[in-house]
Amino acid sequence: MEMKSKTIRAIFITVMIWLPVQYGIVGIVGYYQSEPWPAFVFPGFKSVYVYNEGFEIEQAYIEVWTEQGEPPVRLLPQEFFPELPLSQVPGFMRTHFLTDETNRQFSNQAKRWLYQQAVQVTELDAALLDIVLEVNYYSHHPHGLERDSVTEKMRYTIKLIDQNEPQRTI
Amino acid sequence: MSLSERFNRWIFESWSVSAEGLGLLRIISALFILFFLIPGYGTSHFNFLADLPPDFYAPPPGPMMLFESFPSAAIFQWVHTILLFSLFAMLLGYRTKLTSILTGVSILILQGIIFSVGKVNHEILVAVVPVVMAFSNWGAAFSIDSVRRGHNRQTENWPLTLLALFIGFMMFTAGFPKILGGWLDPTTQATQGHLLNQFFVRERQAMLAEFMVQFDSVLFWELLDWITVLFEIGFLAAVFSPKWFRRFVAFAVLFHFSTMMTLNIAFLPNFLAYAVFLNWDGIYQSNLRLYRRLTGKRGERSKKRSALLLSAVVGLLFFLLNRLSSMDLVLRESDLTLHEVVFLFFALFVVMWIGIKKCA
Repeated sequence: MEMKSKTIRAIFITVMIWLPVQYGIVGIVGYYQSEPWPAFVFPGFKSVYVYNEGFEIEQAYIEVWTEQGEPPVRLLPQEFFPELPLSQVPGFMRTHFLTDETNRQFSNQAKRWLYQQAVQVTELDAALLDIVLEVNYYSHHPHGLERDSVTEKMRYTIKLIDQNEPQRTI
Repeated sequence: MSLSERFNRWIFESWSVSAEGLGLLRIISALFILFFLIPGYGTSHFNFLADLPPDFYAPPPGPMMLFESFPSAAIFQWVHTILLFSLFAMLLGYRTKLTSILTGVSILILQGIIFSVGKVNHEILVAVVPVVMAFSNWGAAFSIDSVRRGHNRQTENWPLTLLALFIGFMMFTAGFPKILGGWLDPTTQATQGHLLNQFFVRERQAMLAEFMVQFDSVLFWELLDWITVLFEIGFLAAVFSPKWFRRFVAFAVLFHFSTMMTLNIAFLPNFLAYAVFLNWDGIYQSNLRLYRRLTGKRGERSKKRSALLLSAVVGLLFFLLNRLSSMDLVLRESDLTLHEVVFLFFALFVVMWIGIKKCA
């Protein structure tokens, strides 16, 4: 029994040392790469979204264009990827679509899959996807918060590959 | 009292639960996981992930980096099946320690795959609870193990202290970055900013969200920023006093309830961990008294039967709630689910009821 108590004490001491150490690792790895997993952390929700006297909120959209030159269908990411849980959609967008230019490489397989997804969601023969990131500015007014202005922070195009045209590789 | 003695007392004497209390906790926890906390959204979600091209496989730094793409749908089904079998065994108390650990590990594997889309959700407590509680001998009563020859009825209290330590530390990790991020700066109203972000970007617009978006009081929002940070940081200190820890858990319920009402985030997985710190001996005794009053039976068998009846009623209620929730009859425009709302209202009711009882 005494030995067992000692083992349990050792477990507690190890855990009490490990928890802050792993938190430090999460911070360092998270800064340079992305948040490690599994880790004993909760979300920090650190951002404050403040600009001057108001708030700035980023909003991503996916615009689906057809080859006929019709106006695009503008969708929220959660509308384009309805199978994903909403809590994962912003992270999915950030990781795969809202990255810097060098990381926006999509394989033909991915472009075919995006085509399928676009067709499934819009029921249109999609040709292009525009990934758009806008910044909305809100400020205080006598009757509550109001959106002052919107600016486009990022826009780029992904040329989709039709399932029936495997030779098209752009 | 020496520091070593105080350390020992904290580990071994902070919490005390009987075999019957732990038995009830095990059954209710298994049912809760089974109906509401299994990672993922079923076959269609697993098939979606299995079909994703390797481009979209972005595992978080860690063991999932050993793989290069999402596994096939068959692997998902295998892990899911192992999880269901181990969870059922845990529910019935069959080889409870082993199956509780297996439950936790299967949950971790499923979570790991699901989080490899490029976003980690902080739901690790769903796996931690069965693994840690496996060492409490929560299969000592109301279980198949308890009727096997030579079974051990002695329970362990230290896993509750360990779980409290995990919760307290994890809460601290939620509060600390907020200080660095500027939440305590009186010129920033961070909570209000997050509300706007959830409301406009993620379209979380149910419950009181719309009302709160228009509620533009700097003092109110700044106060919320400070309360949030103090509460999350303070949770770690509360770990060393069971009385204070229970108060913080009660406050956590109020916190999550208000978060659900405004930001439409329920954080249901945490409630599995919070529920461990309910007075399970008291629940067992109250249920036994009620059973004996209703049936007039006083014998030794009434102990088991009362617990089994309660488990059956809870199982049935969870099943009905699960079915109702999956029908999407209400909250259609929200990613909040009916069962999340029901559980958070119920938790709020429990906390208020305990509070009123303590004050009376």
